[in-house]
Amino acid sequence: MSAFIAMAWNGFREARRNRVTVLVGAFALLLLFATTLVTEVTVSTFDRVVTDFGLGVMSLLLVFLSIYLSSGLISREIERRTIFLMVSKPMSRTRFLLARLAGNMLTLGVLLLAMTLLFWVELVLHRSPITQPQLAALWGLYLELFVLTCAGFLMSTFASQLVSALVTTGLYFAGHLCSDIYNLGVKSKVELVQWVSKATYYSLPNLERLNFRPRATYAIDVTAAELGTATLYALGWGVFFCVLASIVFERRDFR
Amino acid sequence: MTATPALSLPVSIRGLSKTYRVGFFLNKHVKALQGLDLEIAPGQVYGLLGPNGAGKSTTIKILMGLVRASEGQALLFGEPPDRPHVRRQVGFLPENPSLYEYLTGREFVTLAGRIFGMSGHDLDQRVERVLGEVGMGKASDLQIRRYSKGMVQRTALAQALISGPRLLVLDEPTSGLDPLGRRQMRDLILAERKKGTTILFCTHIISDVESLCDRVVVLVGGRRVQEGSVQELVSAKAPSVEMVVHGLPLEQLQSLGFTYEQAQQLDSRVLLRVPDAESHSLLQAVINKGGRVSRVQPARFSLEDLFLDAMKQAGDQMVGGEIQ
Repeated sequence: MSAFIAMAWNGFREARRNRVTVLVGAFALLLLFATTLVTEVTVSTFDRVVTDFGLGVMSLLLVFLSIYLSSGLISREIERRTIFLMVSKPMSRTRFLLARLAGNMLTLGVLLLAMTLLFWVELVLHRSPITQPQLAALWGLYLELFVLTCAGFLMSTFASQLVSALVTTGLYFAGHLCSDIYNLGVKSKVELVQWVSKATYYSLPNLERLNFRPRATYAIDVTAAELGTATLYALGWGVFFCVLASIVFERRDFR
Repeated sequence: MTATPALSLPVSIRGLSKTYRVGFFLNKHVKALQGLDLEIAPGQVYGLLGPNGAGKSTTIKILMGLVRASEGQALLFGEPPDRPHVRRQVGFLPENPSLYEYLTGREFVTLAGRIFGMSGHDLDQRVERVLGEVGMGKASDLQIRRYSKGMVQRTALAQALISGPRLLVLDEPTSGLDPLGRRQMRDLILAERKKGTTILFCTHIISDVESLCDRVVVLVGGRRVQEGSVQELVSAKAPSVEMVVHGLPLEQLQSLGFTYEQAQQLDSRVLLRVPDAESHSLLQAVINKGGRVSRVQPARFSLEDLFLDAMKQAGDQMVGGEIQ
């Protein structure tokens, strides 16, 4: 097992031992509660409401977890000085950073998979269909988690966990609102507002491009081209954040 | 540096300096190290001695790639320390080591072995052996969060030994340990020395240096103030003599005009310490004044005296580096 895989696997083990899997249990309970409620109050829109709720809760829990994990992973290592023993080993700093990122994505991937299985079991039990847009929405969610994790990682290479978490949370909301911010600028007559809104739009990842949940709710198919573009878009932002994180991390002194 | 790594010195430092930028606007500069030169030969146990803030840990952190030097060069086996094949030959125990608390001791040491590129049965055997060597064989399956400080220290030493390093870098390995823990740690270091491992070892505990090190460098305020073998440094100091005088008060003895290194009233006696060159004249003077000398013996000059002398000589420098 190479050093990279060992470190990545260790990241997953850390999350598991810190009981993040509790989230899957929370998701199961929320889903059970929601479906019980939905069967009581809906007549013909059960599939739509359960899909919307299931994907929404999954997204909320995993986004929260990805921000928490990514913002603390490197900064906690620095604060607790565990970094001394890792960075001094025969592994470059960038490799260490990427291994930690891979461990985080593995954790989020496993949790997403577990929640997806629960979600599907729920759908099957209620004889609701598993659709292509649902799969696309799940992939989009994983891409969104990837972008947020990379952003959190970048922040945590030079800021405390609190600051990293706040900035990454801000990025999450701004990323979902940046189309609206752009449109606001277009409608404004003030040149400064137009300029700021455009700058905001182009300097932030547009997370709505990765959000296929509304289409899953209304069972509107997502084309392969759309998925491919979204994947490339997320990878582009992820790589950009990782390169910045690597530059910062490589130059840091660990006193 | 063109020397073949195998023939190169385990540690070679030339003109090494480090300035930290501190303060809210990073506009203050702290000189943690100033032009340090150092060479460690294979198989030596080399002590970095100095008060807090002398630059010992900074030197070690530069060697381990944790901190970048501002000026100068630090080489391990003739090559820059950030090269992976160089680091494979080095084991590192930082000051107050912090390990992944969610792992067991065995898992942590295994993880360290995997980062060193080890795997399979060889790794399992090696983990078992080093955990046994540091006395952690039985407790190795407990989570590290349940360990005492001494157990953490020993597990950290086990991970430093996992790759069978040619150079072992230890930052304050005995600090915070109880007397038994310190003794065990010293024994482990001595065992590594017997195997021929080069050891760079940083401490402010002088007795550890005296009992373990072949050579010592004394750092004060980021500068080297003394360097040599423990024997050389101690014997280079002019010898002195201790005398116990009866029948003469301290004030009268002080008025005789001798250079006392120590003069202390002890009940009816006075303990004096004078340079060897003056001892004969002092003896004569005491007898002439009607005093009686009950004991004359050469004073043992210790590394502690040397350390305190070095501190005095460098007294104009700030402990913790110079702030500008």
